[in-house]
Amino acid sequence: MDNALAALSELFEPLRLFALIMGVLAGMVFGMLPGLGGVAAVSIMLPFIFLFDSYAGLALLLGAISVVYTSDTITSVLLGAPGSPASAPTAIEGHAMARRGEAATALGLGFLASMTGGLIGAMTLALAIPVAGPIVLALGTPELLMFALIGLYFASSMIGRDLAVGLAAGCLGLLIGTIGPAPAAANFRFTFGQAYLLDGLSLTIVALGLFAVPEIISMLSGGGGISSKRQVVSNWSSGFVEFWKSRWLIIRSAFIGTFGGFVPAVGANASTWVAYGHAMSSTKDKSRFGKGEPRGVAAAEGANNATVISDLVPTLLFSVPGGPAAAIFLGALFSFGFFPGPRMVTEEPVLLYLIVWSVALASIVGAAICFAITPLVAQLTRIRFALIAAPLMLVMVAGAYQATQSLGDISILLLLGVIGWIMKQAEWPRAPVLVGFVLATPVEQYFWLTTQIHGWSWLGRPGVLLIASFIIVPLIWRAASRWIAKRKAISPLSVSADADPDVSKPTGTTAARLAMSVIAVAIFGYALAEAMGFRANARLLPLLAIIPGLALAIFVVVREGIRLTRNVDQFHFEAKADYPIIALLIGYALGIALFGFQVATAVFLIFVLTRFAGLRLLGALAYATILFVGINGLFSLMRIAPPEGYLISNLF
Amino acid sequence: MTRHTKLSGSSALAVSLMALLGANHATAQHSFEGQTIEVVVPFAPGGATDVAARFLERFLERHLEGNPNVEVTNRGGGGSILGANWFQQNARPDGQTVLFTTSSTANPYVLGQPEVEYDLAAMRMAYGLPFGSVTYVAANTGIETPEDFVNASGPLLYGGIAAAASDLPTLLSFEVLGVDVRSVLGFTGRGPIRLAFERGETNVDFQFTPVYMTQVASSVEDGSSVALMTGGSMDENGRLIARDPAVPDLPSVYEVYVDVFGEEPSGVEWDAYQAMGALTLAYGLTAYLHPDTPDEIVNAFADAVARINEDPEFIEEGQQVVGGYAMTSPVDAEAALRAALQPSDEVREYLINLLTDKFDVQF
Repeated sequence: MDNALAALSELFEPLRLFALIMGVLAGMVFGMLPGLGGVAAVSIMLPFIFLFDSYAGLALLLGAISVVYTSDTITSVLLGAPGSPASAPTAIEGHAMARRGEAATALGLGFLASMTGGLIGAMTLALAIPVAGPIVLALGTPELLMFALIGLYFASSMIGRDLAVGLAAGCLGLLIGTIGPAPAAANFRFTFGQAYLLDGLSLTIVALGLFAVPEIISMLSGGGGISSKRQVVSNWSSGFVEFWKSRWLIIRSAFIGTFGGFVPAVGANASTWVAYGHAMSSTKDKSRFGKGEPRGVAAAEGANNATVISDLVPTLLFSVPGGPAAAIFLGALFSFGFFPGPRMVTEEPVLLYLIVWSVALASIVGAAICFAITPLVAQLTRIRFALIAAPLMLVMVAGAYQATQSLGDISILLLLGVIGWIMKQAEWPRAPVLVGFVLATPVEQYFWLTTQIHGWSWLGRPGVLLIASFIIVPLIWRAASRWIAKRKAISPLSVSADADPDVSKPTGTTAARLAMSVIAVAIFGYALAEAMGFRANARLLPLLAIIPGLALAIFVVVREGIRLTRNVDQFHFEAKADYPIIALLIGYALGIALFGFQVATAVFLIFVLTRFAGLRLLGALAYATILFVGINGLFSLMRIAPPEGYLISNLF
Repeated sequence: MTRHTKLSGSSALAVSLMALLGANHATAQHSFEGQTIEVVVPFAPGGATDVAARFLERFLERHLEGNPNVEVTNRGGGGSILGANWFQQNARPDGQTVLFTTSSTANPYVLGQPEVEYDLAAMRMAYGLPFGSVTYVAANTGIETPEDFVNASGPLLYGGIAAAASDLPTLLSFEVLGVDVRSVLGFTGRGPIRLAFERGETNVDFQFTPVYMTQVASSVEDGSSVALMTGGSMDENGRLIARDPAVPDLPSVYEVYVDVFGEEPSGVEWDAYQAMGALTLAYGLTAYLHPDTPDEIVNAFADAVARINEDPEFIEEGQQVVGGYAMTSPVDAEAALRAALQPSDEVREYLINLLTDKFDVQF
């Protein structure tokens, strides 16, 4: 207790508070910019921490870490593009709410849930650190495997109505996740001889490509603002009401998130989906999920913020970072001469509580600032989207490019963007792709480690059974309540989420549906051919994705083909207005490759602003100049040089 | 006749060039005044290499002639190959771009991975920091001495990241000593491996010395783990056989071999251990320069290294951050580093066969 108070007074030194607030502000900005989540914020702050003393420097980083998942709610809700990958459920549910004109509710709920998650994370940090050692040590590789499997299971709740298409999408995600080195045998898979692919794809780029790029394409061509309805975000009361209604769900989600943070590597992404799945299984009327269910937002936001904070538990106890942002924080601790480990709890109690207070304070301040600035941000949703889309596209390119600083980043962003766009038109769900991608690595890795270390005895471990009960208990519960209901001869009211009278099944097909199913067959078919050359233990997981994926994709191709022949008149090309935008983006990427970022961006900006934003040439020039200076400032802040063009660097 | 003049002409040129270079070294000091040196770390921020690079930043600024501004930038991806490829294409021979990396870059080069576009053996060396490694086992294996370890019959399970990565010298040391250890590869990092060891999922592990001292030493003191040996450090003849100065109580792999078998280790296993051990440990962290970097710039780095090694602040803080090792100077190490980067065909073939047959690596 003395230590806790001592730490509080240490934190309340003006310079340290200042550092914390600066961190919060930076974290907010980077959380809001799609593609630049916590990792970007923390690595950009890293050089600046040495301007301060150790406590202030760490406060700067903690401020940034703690608010990223709060402020990214704004992007997720208003744009439908997840501010960071672990916010994908918020982007789905929250954005659907915003389109109904309930942005204020979604945002208020998201901020409060985030703050609660942050506070519970901080509380866990304070209480758990002295006792969490045994818990973290109890989580062996079998438990980590089970946790990843659970994430995958709950993600299947995102599959939606068309089972074949949803499962094929999940398989596609798993397959993309196997690009790069195989954990069990040093095989490189699906790398096409490109050094760029040796580490596999970056999560940020996959999330941006699948979700954000298609949004930008559609909205540029739509020409209008983000929301068809006017967004009123001055009245927060409905947000508070929803928050209060979901308070227990949020607290449970925060604990799921906290637990996820204890598990290195599986962390934020799995726990967000587990919490989302939990929200779904604990909600009676499931029909609104995927179409703007506040409980989905509440669960995801409660979980992701708690995870990023409890990621610090393994970091501080064992020097094993729970997530990428925590890894950078660990590096900063080393640089200041703090060496986390079991002894740190007794040796540096003040530092420990300082971390707890910083995180707690940042969560509250962050939520408050979010409430304050949202009315301003919401104004943006009413102006012509092209005015925002242009800078967003630049930020996304910068965010993608910081992954490895090679043109591969931009190419993959665009390639996945086009695939994401086709999927969106074809009504293939994209969330399963993301989840499959995220969990492919831990599932495969921990499967091999587990079977090599434990054989099959791992299935009987108490920890594994406990985690498995997350799946099994609700299943038994549901089966039992159905059985009781039957005996009482009362038909169950709400279990059948599948029956949805609103949506009639499509009888014909469209260009995108056909194209996507053919693309899927091609991808799985190619992958099958290549995978046959892998060693046995590098082949297992890819085949687990490819074989069902290929079968489902062929089924969908045949189904769409039959629909085409039966209803030829219904065949059409959807969203033809988007085609020029896609061509424009491809042209932009080619321009970057050939002429470099500066030239291509200047041309791109002028073209978008005059053609799509309806600006006169003079206005476009002025706005483009501001954006141009801004994006170059961002690049120099990130200490990276924007891409140089092939022609420019080779001819001059 | 013409041929003769040509020959003497070129040799005269060579002589005057040499004189010029020698004179340069003796008199003109290269100064980095007003320049910025970019230290490229081909890994994401926060890792061991990044921490070491940032730790050295201010000492280089203080001790390089002309007090240049030193900036660390991260270019991760491709298991460090992307950053190294970038360096190969973009560095100039002016000493202002430095590639600071580990055996993650050197091993794919030595093993001839197709994605490698850089020629590490042609590059100049600027400075380096050695790594040390400590191999330890769980007390419940009943192993108390290195000799017990060599003769162990109980199941020994080693957790690693990948055979062709930083695990290689340790795996090779098991080959040299003929210890029967089963290895489970595929962990994400040395930290998770340490946790698996603490949970009892594995019972043989190694950690690099800074981590060993801060995280493992206490469990050796309380008797739950037994420290066996170090990878060794370079003796004055460039052989990886000396005791590790950071953990002087523990024998090196070489000493263990001599102790147990009563003779000097030899053969291709030992040569392979020497080459890969040098790249992973003795030259574990190495800063490379463009191949055509002139001697005066390399010497400027060598001078800075000498001054840093005497800086009391470096000596004190280095204890914890980098294990208390002195920096390596290009004057002493460049030749040995190049030799380690170009092992004999026999060693290379042995490594490739071992990795393919025993560890399922596909080339």
